[in-house]
Amino acid sequence: MSRGTVVVVRDATREYRQGPTVVRALQGISVAVEQGDFLAVTGPSGSGKSTLLHLLGGVDVATAGEVRFLGRNLAEMTVEARAALRLREVGLVFQRFHLLPMLTALENVELPLAAARVRRGERRERAAAVLERVGLADRLRHRPSELSGGQLQRVAIARALVNQPALVLADEPTGELDRASSRRVLGLFRDLNATGTTLVVATHDLEFAEGARRRIEVVDGRIEG
Amino acid sequence: MLALNSIRELRLRPLRTLLTLGGVTVATAMLSDMLMLGGGIQRSFSEVLESVGYELRLSPRGTLPFDTEATIRGIGGLRDTVESVAGVQDLVPVLAQTLTIMADGDESPGPRASRQTLALGLDTDEEGLYTLLAGRSPGDGEILIDPALAALLDTRPGDRLRLGVSSRFGTWGGDATAVVSGTAEFIFATRRDMPVALPMADLQALSARTDQASFAMIRLREGHAPGPVREAITAATDRVEVVTLAGIAEQVDERLSYFRQLAAILASVSLLVAALLIGTISAVSVSDQLGVIAALRAIGVSRRRIVGDLTAESAVLCGVGGGLGIALSIAVAHYLESILADFPGLPATVRFFVLSPGTLAAAYGLVVAAGVVAGLLPALRATRLEVTTLLHREEP
Repeated sequence: MSRGTVVVVRDATREYRQGPTVVRALQGISVAVEQGDFLAVTGPSGSGKSTLLHLLGGVDVATAGEVRFLGRNLAEMTVEARAALRLREVGLVFQRFHLLPMLTALENVELPLAAARVRRGERRERAAAVLERVGLADRLRHRPSELSGGQLQRVAIARALVNQPALVLADEPTGELDRASSRRVLGLFRDLNATGTTLVVATHDLEFAEGARRRIEVVDGRIEG
Repeated sequence: MLALNSIRELRLRPLRTLLTLGGVTVATAMLSDMLMLGGGIQRSFSEVLESVGYELRLSPRGTLPFDTEATIRGIGGLRDTVESVAGVQDLVPVLAQTLTIMADGDESPGPRASRQTLALGLDTDEEGLYTLLAGRSPGDGEILIDPALAALLDTRPGDRLRLGVSSRFGTWGGDATAVVSGTAEFIFATRRDMPVALPMADLQALSARTDQASFAMIRLREGHAPGPVREAITAATDRVEVVTLAGIAEQVDERLSYFRQLAAILASVSLLVAALLIGTISAVSVSDQLGVIAALRAIGVSRRRIVGDLTAESAVLCGVGGGLGIALSIAVAHYLESILADFPGLPATVRFFVLSPGTLAAAYGLVVAAGVVAGLLPALRATRLEVTTLLHREEP
């Protein structure tokens, strides 16, 4: 593993049991994400993109093979230890945003800081700064129901960034957005990457994928090519 | 933060919130009232007994408390026997007799100005069975009356009343008179009794029950426990039944045991209703938030924190509903108490619902605890689901 490697996956397999059937979502995948990377993971629905993201971020563990995050073997960590690692080192962006509907944009972004027991004043400042960075300085007190799809995704991105994680994982971040909003999110990701944020994005959107620094395609649980 | 979200959602769904609060309020009120009823009457009765200042009670063998027909014959001799027992300070005999009381000047006993009532013959200096409201204890030729009877007969201290002896065979006499010495609240009287008190000798003479008493009360010397003295009196005479105050309370408690059983069942049902209500609301709320719960778990928020936050909604509903329920229970207890005050055979001073901070706190605590536990279960279940499974379910 090179000095700048954030996460490395070696020969990882992930199997699920669905009743008597064993479903192999990933088969012997190896991939490394370096610091400052902007990796797009493409592939058809059900190909294993989300599963790969979950392994990279320690949301899930491989059935076989190894995943090392900042040098630590995730399989050897407890569920809560991996949760604590994700809270500090991984930012997650979901297709459906998953913002808390009754909280303001600012409060939603504060959430990971509150979970990390950062004091109220500091978390307010940091959340406001990140929202300003994603272009939502004028929407701090708005609730999700008062924001557009693109704005919602930017709030979700701000929430992923607020703990200054080593890696940001985004699963279909433009899946619910129109073309213009998708381009704005891509622009934001490129800007973030340009300032040192390491990104891995699973996407169907080829235009989005072409905007990344590099790209891998997952088909039937394997990396193509 | 999830807790804040959940609590704000309560305002977003006012109807659901109000209905839930209403359910918790009613369940808490019922639980609280049943707890008050379950232990209240026994406690209240014991307090009334203790307030009289006597530790033992003698009654004719084979009779029940407050039976006014049977008497102890030769009470003078019995008094000497009992007062010679170690530990006995004194014995106070009481004769109970139904009298017809008329305002003096009325031609005959009639509904307008006469009343059949319970008369107690007492040694004049004994005030244990009543509390003076006006005037003084009755001396020879005097009578102390209940204020409600005084109002009914339109009489006041200094007025003269005519007395007739009543029994199941009719009323006779009516030539005897007594002067009203004052009014008093009688501790063991039911609200309908409107009793009176006369000197023991006067009532014995009036009812032709010389040297008889309906029951007697015994005051003990300091440092003597009722149990051993009771044993000693029983050994000294077999003519009477000797009961301690605790024994009387037990007898009453046995007679009213169905109240306790009913109260316990209704209290349990109330608690169950509250728990089911909160559990259902919590399960619906958790189900609505599964996507957010999955996302928070994925982000790295600990399971314990999410469970705590999700349970906050139940705690708020139970806290507010429980508080309202306690207020409602106090109002309902007062209302029911006014209805049950006419319960036959029980002294009006005995309360069915005894309000105490401990009982109210217990009811409130039980409802909040039941609600929190009921809210905890769906939250625990949701956070134990695999994060990836939840995300697969929530993400297209």
